[in-house]
Amino acid sequence: MIAYGLWSRGGISDARWLAVLGTGWLLLLVALWPSLPPSLPTFARATVRTAILITTVFVVLTLQLVRIQVVQSEATVGRVATDPVSDEVIANPRVQVADLEARRGRVFDRNGAVLADTLFEGDTARRVYPEPESAYVVGYFSPLLYGKAGLEASYDDELAGVDGTNAILRNVDALLDRPPQGLDIRLTLDAELQREAHRLLRGRPGAAVLLDVETGAVLTLASNPHYDPNALFTAYPDERDAAVAAWDDLIADPTAPLVLRATEGLFTPGSTFKVVTAAAAVDAGFADPDRVYEDDGDLDVGGRVLVEQNRPDESRDEWTLREGMAWSLNVVFAQVGLQLGPEVMREYADRFGFGHAVPFDLPVAESSLETTPGFIDGLPALADTAFGQGELQVTPLQMALVAQTIANGGETMRPYLVDALATQKGDTVRRTDREAWRRPVSEETAAQVGSMMVSAVEEGVAQGAVLDAYTVGGKTGTAETGDAGDPHAWFIGFVGDPGAKPRYAVAVVLEHGGAGLAGSLQVGRDLLAAAMATASVTE
Amino acid sequence: MIRRAPRFRFNEFQLLIAPSLLAIVGLLTVFLVPRGDVAWSWADIWVSLAYVALVYGLSLGFGLLGVRGDQVILPLTAMLAGIGLLMAQRLHPSLAARDPLYANLAARQLIYLVLGLGVLGGTTILLRRRRIDWLRRYKYTWLLISLALLAVTFAVAPEINGARLWLTLGPIQVQPSEIVKITLVTFLAGYLEDKRDLVGSSWRLGALHLPPLPYLLPMGLMGAASLAVLVLQNDLGAALLFFGVFLVMLYVASGRLVYVTAGLFAFSIACWGAFRFFARIDVRVRNWLDPWQDPLASGYQQVQSDYALASGGLLGRGLGRGQPYHIPEVQTDFVFSAVGEELGLLGTVGLLALYLLLVMRGFAIGLRARDGFQRLVAVGLSTILGLQTLLIVGGVVRLIPLTGITLPFVSYGGSSLLTNFLIVGLLMVISDGDRPD
Repeated sequence: MIAYGLWSRGGISDARWLAVLGTGWLLLLVALWPSLPPSLPTFARATVRTAILITTVFVVLTLQLVRIQVVQSEATVGRVATDPVSDEVIANPRVQVADLEARRGRVFDRNGAVLADTLFEGDTARRVYPEPESAYVVGYFSPLLYGKAGLEASYDDELAGVDGTNAILRNVDALLDRPPQGLDIRLTLDAELQREAHRLLRGRPGAAVLLDVETGAVLTLASNPHYDPNALFTAYPDERDAAVAAWDDLIADPTAPLVLRATEGLFTPGSTFKVVTAAAAVDAGFADPDRVYEDDGDLDVGGRVLVEQNRPDESRDEWTLREGMAWSLNVVFAQVGLQLGPEVMREYADRFGFGHAVPFDLPVAESSLETTPGFIDGLPALADTAFGQGELQVTPLQMALVAQTIANGGETMRPYLVDALATQKGDTVRRTDREAWRRPVSEETAAQVGSMMVSAVEEGVAQGAVLDAYTVGGKTGTAETGDAGDPHAWFIGFVGDPGAKPRYAVAVVLEHGGAGLAGSLQVGRDLLAAAMATASVTE
Repeated sequence: MIRRAPRFRFNEFQLLIAPSLLAIVGLLTVFLVPRGDVAWSWADIWVSLAYVALVYGLSLGFGLLGVRGDQVILPLTAMLAGIGLLMAQRLHPSLAARDPLYANLAARQLIYLVLGLGVLGGTTILLRRRRIDWLRRYKYTWLLISLALLAVTFAVAPEINGARLWLTLGPIQVQPSEIVKITLVTFLAGYLEDKRDLVGSSWRLGALHLPPLPYLLPMGLMGAASLAVLVLQNDLGAALLFFGVFLVMLYVASGRLVYVTAGLFAFSIACWGAFRFFARIDVRVRNWLDPWQDPLASGYQQVQSDYALASGGLLGRGLGRGQPYHIPEVQTDFVFSAVGEELGLLGTVGLLALYLLLVMRGFAIGLRARDGFQRLVAVGLSTILGLQTLLIVGGVVRLIPLTGITLPFVSYGGSSLLTNFLIVGLLMVISDGDRPD
């Protein structure tokens, strides 16, 4: 009974456990203390008692062993600690070596191009990433030094063969001392398009995200600057210095190449956010595309004068919502925002996924409508936010999802990068289900907002995005950042065959890309065209 | 001299099957696993066969010479020493590759093992038939030798790892505190037995009932000696061991728990003082409670040992399949963690059971011994084995602060191995003497 009591309290901290164990030992001692007949010689009595004492201590040792080797085994094996003085990390060398010995699964793009491979040099596995433009999406694998990141981290158990496969076969492998067989991962990513995106970005800092409208599959997740995971892998001690140097450079780099802009970068969205504002206004019944707003060049909002810079014809004072979207009229959208009020604004931002963790295969930063709670309760702040300034902070992935939602009839699909897991022999083990994540607006609203985005491309400021063979909808954005330097240049949009449902949605941001819209818009347009071209090839 | 008739030691013969199988199968595993091969050659098992032949030869030799002593402690010892042999052979390649100091680790351990078995056999045969009383007669000599050895060690031993424990004699290093264990027990047994009649005679100092002087005197002396070992040699393990054995023998001789309690109390205070005033012990205590607060320096060894024990799990990783070599000093202080990693909880608990059996067997021999001196020697020596196991294993599994003493028969180290075999030899002699001729 005492033993059972001690066993059941296995998970507690060391000092308390020791106290429990000590008490248990005393109880055990009392329980076992023999009552010896006084006729027994002193020597015999004392010896028997000493024997009992020693036996109880052996029992306590056994209990402690049970705790270390069984109850807390897993927690201890995986324990990682940081030295408080030197900040150096200590981890179980067995885990690191196991990482190097495992036949880690490969990563393929959607057409079967190898993005990450495990090559064997004798008994030691080397992880290589042959596609520089896609490698960083897979992440890095640096078991002896820096651990794992990206998909290498989020799918570690599957890649390492710890999870996802048949448990019995795994144990047989372990028994026969075969290296564990990891699962291969097939991504939705298209290495060709990813390369194309990088060609279009021309090394400028920023991101380009391309989604399949229907499924939410991520075809492109381009991010600049990025890093080469090959440089962080080490199998041998003589590679260590180079890897440490590469890592130190990455950490010291002020542009933070380890941060994936596409998913973890937060930017002001600028006018691309007008899509959300318009969708809210239409969906909540405050407006339709033909509703007329007055815009005579400036607007007084709560004592602050907002100057309109985007009117194509300065003699006109009245503009429809559609024209406001097409010409990106801030005064029009400021009025829409004031019309909606902070509550409706918050509700629709929430519906689109702002303030929610996007369920994704990689970590995603949370986009937010306002950083300071209650910020948009002020009228000027509300107006600013309605046309995409204020305290808005968004990830490129979030804005791609906005475009995808509009193109998909108002339903946001859960974005995904991992399409399927398969054994190294090629048998599919698990496929990712396509599923809706949220439904921010009705189909009707989506259709109307979509048509306004098409107008922006066909008649408005986004005319540069026109593609002859396809229907393109889009919205540009120039986001003032508040700090010195050029504004961020944005483009979100979608493309499809004329008269059909759009196929692909895109979001492009060029960090401090300047007020000229040509840059981001061109990247977005060409990426959409490339996606349509590869789609028609495969069909 | 009366000759005893030869007698076949059947139980011992049967029980020796277990360590024989362990040596053969275990050593074969140790050699084959790194090669990843199942084809074996005689070169792989001659060591095991030699070991088996040696222990069986010893058993048969005892039988031929008419030794009637205990038939269980030799198989238990062979089992424990066999595990030690396995661990030395298993750790040798990884340690030798890392440090030339360990280039001959496995071979040395083998030599010590053979010598140890020789000591066991020699003691048993030479001290038979009451010749053990010779030990009793020279009890003060043993005391002097003990104190002299400790003093010499302190005076000339170089400091290694912050402790002065080893004397260099030509090509080998000896650890005098190992042999002192036996000389001290012998002295105490002789002394306490001689003064047994004084057990009831307490004397008063004012209102206080004080124990008789013959008890008080050695108590003070032993306490002082233990503390000296602790403070001067920085050897917490030996200090605890000496004092613990002394208390047990005092208790067993007098039957008075109050002496033990008083001694324990005094020693605890001394330990607490040491903890407060000696940085090295303070570090040990902190690493006992949480080695993760300094995982790369003073806590490193303990952290690696935790990893090893936890990796073992219930069944262990298999001999030769774990990575116990990440633990510094794994071949001595932390050999128990290596066993835990490769043989799992079953292995560690099994190992503890072997020690417990050996100690209990020693106590049983003590209970049956023919006179008070031999009784006390048997209990004292068994307590040495038991206490040593408890101290080092308790330290490794973090129940008490770590003390740098060896795990009997399993840790690498000549002095300790030979001393332990000598202990078993003496137990054999005592058990042999309790049978009528």
